[in-house]
This record gives sequence, C-alpha cells and structure tokens, in this order.
Amino acid sequence: MIKQNKLIPTLLVVTSVVMLSAACSSNNCPLDNSVSCNYYFYDSQDHAISIGDTLSVSILLPGHDTLYTYRLAGYTTIESRTRIDSLIEQGYKELVSVTRHDSTIINQVSGVAYLQLPMAYFNTADTLVFHYASITNNDTLYIEHDNMPHVGLPECGSYMFHNIKSVKSTDYAIERIEISNPNVNYEGKENIKIHFAGTLE
Amino acid sequence: MKERRTSKYTLPALLSSLLLTLTLTLHGQEPGEAPKPTLYVVDSLSLEPKQTFFQGFTLSADIFGPIQKFVSDYGVFEGSLRINLKNQFFPVVEAGYGICETTNEDTHISYNTKAPYLRAGLDINMLKNKWQDNRLYLGARYGISKFDYDISGPELTDKTWGGSAPFSHKGISTTAHWVEFIAGVQVKILPCFHMGWTVRFKTAISKGVTDYGTPYYIPGYGTTTSGTCWGATYNLSFDLNWGRKKNKTQLNAVVHPVEPSINAKPTEKEPEDKEVGKKAEEIKNTEKTE
Repeated sequence: MIKQNKLIPTLLVVTSVVMLSAACSSNNCPLDNSVSCNYYFYDSQDHAISIGDTLSVSILLPGHDTLYTYRLAGYTTIESRTRIDSLIEQGYKELVSVTRHDSTIINQVSGVAYLQLPMAYFNTADTLVFHYASITNNDTLYIEHDNMPHVGLPECGSYMFHNIKSVKSTDYAIERIEISNPNVNYEGKENIKIHFAGTLE
Repeated sequence: MKERRTSKYTLPALLSSLLLTLTLTLHGQEPGEAPKPTLYVVDSLSLEPKQTFFQGFTLSADIFGPIQKFVSDYGVFEGSLRINLKNQFFPVVEAGYGICETTNEDTHISYNTKAPYLRAGLDINMLKNKWQDNRLYLGARYGISKFDYDISGPELTDKTWGGSAPFSHKGISTTAHWVEFIAGVQVKILPCFHMGWTVRFKTAISKGVTDYGTPYYIPGYGTTTSGTCWGATYNLSFDLNWGRKKNKTQLNAVVHPVEPSINAKPTEKEPEDKEVGKKAEEIKNTEKTE
C-alpha cells in the first residue's frame, strides 16, 4: 500500500512512463505493400529448385485480339495484330485468327526459385501461360480466387487481397500444382507450389 | 455532512464510566453467608471504527473524451457508475458512445463509425488510509464494443488485368474486445463531489478484423495503429448515498477480576487510558470528516 506522502512521487513516475510510452507509438504500414501471389518452384520430389530454363509468363486478359499471320515460302513468318497490306502486295499469304487478348508480365527469366505475380482485382479466375525456351509447348495455369478490398489503416492506402479457391494446370513441364497458402496479401508468404517434372538429383 | 455534536460529550463519559465500572457477581458463597462481590477492572479499551461494507454509489462523467473529439477526429462521451465497498474496492461499470470521422489527407481514405461500448472492472484504493478524501487507484477493465463502420476512398484500379471499381463499403459489422489496466487519482473538491483522472494501458483481445481489414478505430478502445493503446479520462464524480448505512464506532473492552477492595486503584492503567482517549479523539475526528 502507498502512503500519502509517497503519492506525488508515485504519480510523477506513472505520468512519466505514460508520456514515454506514448512517444514510442508509430504506425504499422507495411514496408513492402505490393500484393502478389507467390509461386515457388519444386521438383517432383518436393525439393525447392531454381528453374534452369528461360521462362516467360503471359496472362490472358478479358477480350480478344485479331492476329494476322503472313507466310511466304523461303521467308520468315510474320505475325501482327494489325493488317499489313504491303506484305500482301509482296506475295505473302494472310491468315487471320482471333486469339485471347494477352499481356506478357514476365519476360525471359532464368535461375529463379519463385515468381511474384499479380492477381486480377475484378475477375475470379486468372489464366497464366508459362512459355519455356527449351520446349515448344506451353503450360497453362488456371487460378480461381475471391477478391477482397482491404484497408489496414487510412494512412496506408487501400489494397485488393485475394483468397485462392482452386488451381490446376496443363502438364507439359509441370507435374503438379498445389495451394500452400490461399491468402494472398502483402505478407510475402508462399501461396502456390509448382512441381516440375523430374528430380533435382 | 452534518457534525454530530453529541459524540463530543458521550464518548468521554462512556470511557470514564467503563474505566470505573465494578461488576458485582455472586460466587463462592457459603450457606447463610452474605454474597461476596467480585471486582472486575477494565484492563484495556479499544475503540475501532466499524465501517459499513457498502459505502454508496458514485456517478461519474468523463470530460476528456468530448474535448478529444473537439480537437481531433475521434472521441467519446462516457459515464460510469461505481460502487464503494469499504472505501477500498470499487466495482465499476463504464458506458459510452465513441465517434470517429476521419479522412487521410494523403490516401483520401475515410473511416467513419459511431457506436456504444461497455466496460466493467474493479478499482482498488492503494492509499494506506482508506478514509481520507483523496484516493489513488489501480484497476482493470474488460471492454466490448459491437459496432458498424464505413470505409471509402479513391476507386481501385487494376493496372495489370485492367478495370476499376469504386472503393466504398458501408455498414461493415464487427465486435471488438479488450482489457485495460488503470492508474488514477481522485480528490474531493466539494462535499460529495470528486475530480480525478485515469491513465489507461489498453491491449486488444480481438480488434474485430473483417474481410476489409482491421477497423481503424474501436469505440471505447481507440485507434488500432499500434498493437497496444493508451487512453485517459478526466472525471467529475458525484457520490450517491442510496442505501448506505451510517458508519459506527465499536468499543472493545478487556477486563480481569481482582480481589474485592473498596480502595481498588485503577491508577496503573492511567497511561493506557490516555492512549485510549487519544484514539477515541482520532476516531471522533474521522467521524466528523465523513
């Protein structure tokens, strides 16, 4: 129990502790505030690997593109998203096709152990295409997810978080794909495991 | 409180009479013999204040919360009801209404909430002399608030996949719980009126995180910018004496028998009697201050 003559010193100590503690408070905005889905690479035996091939990743966007392909025997085939009349005049044959609108988001990387890729804010299914330098076929990944607008603190801005519902892929180079953490945010945790065919040994 | 003038005279009179009391009993009596009186002398006297357990209610209003709301984006309007148990233990219930209306200048994100909250807990008077007018408290609280909040801001734009949408979400419902550890003082400024302040260290049990994130402000708790939170109140209190019984003084006497003698001298006990007299005077003064 505290005697009355010790009341004032006790109050001074308590007040000082409060002032010092209040002075130490700060905000909690994340240092790395980009939201991305983190894909980590493994071999078929679940060993973490760095991919040796040169890899590009494109995403299929809403909408379609018209693709014009021009071929002439003995010459390189030319592809264009706009019509080139001069090539027809030179004798090229024109082939018109409609493809999904796409965008390359990773261009020719190698020796990487993981990729950080964005997810769509307003779609609930993303389609990614993995292009390999060493094999002709591409792998296509389908990611189903929910989207959740998020505000941590007003001073930190707004984000779109995601929750992965399911994943699947074709199996040219990829053996299997699985979810390791469905919550996609700015914490940087591994979200998806991609197991490539073959083993590290 | 009205002074009790009668105690000034009755207390010394009571003491004097007790010191000189001779109690006669009949014992060891032979047949046909006149009964012999046994003399008892008061060995010691003690006067103890007998305070009632329940000392009344206290109603309080916080004036720090409204001032905080006036000078910042958030604040509370709060009142409390406190029960006084022997001037040492104070079970307390605090109820209030928290308001936050803020927009960040950099991000242009707005956060709004208006909701009630409730806290319950106990304060303990840490002063050695519990019966003086001032008090030094240590205490704890459990707090809860069920509230809805609105967040809005600039529209979200997806630069990779394309598209944009407004960012405005209203009526997000959640519940937060927290505990508080309190230190405070209270001083008497007028009869039945007290003034005092508390500082509060708050730690959340649950911040009511939703799919949209952690609420920026929890009514009754404060902002969630850090893992813990500090708060303060500045209270004006009014004592209510509903159901309170008056405190009493209890006189304890220890006696021992002595051989019957007409000239029994209680003089050996005089110094002790003086001590008892002093104590009686102290208690009398305490009663006056009440």
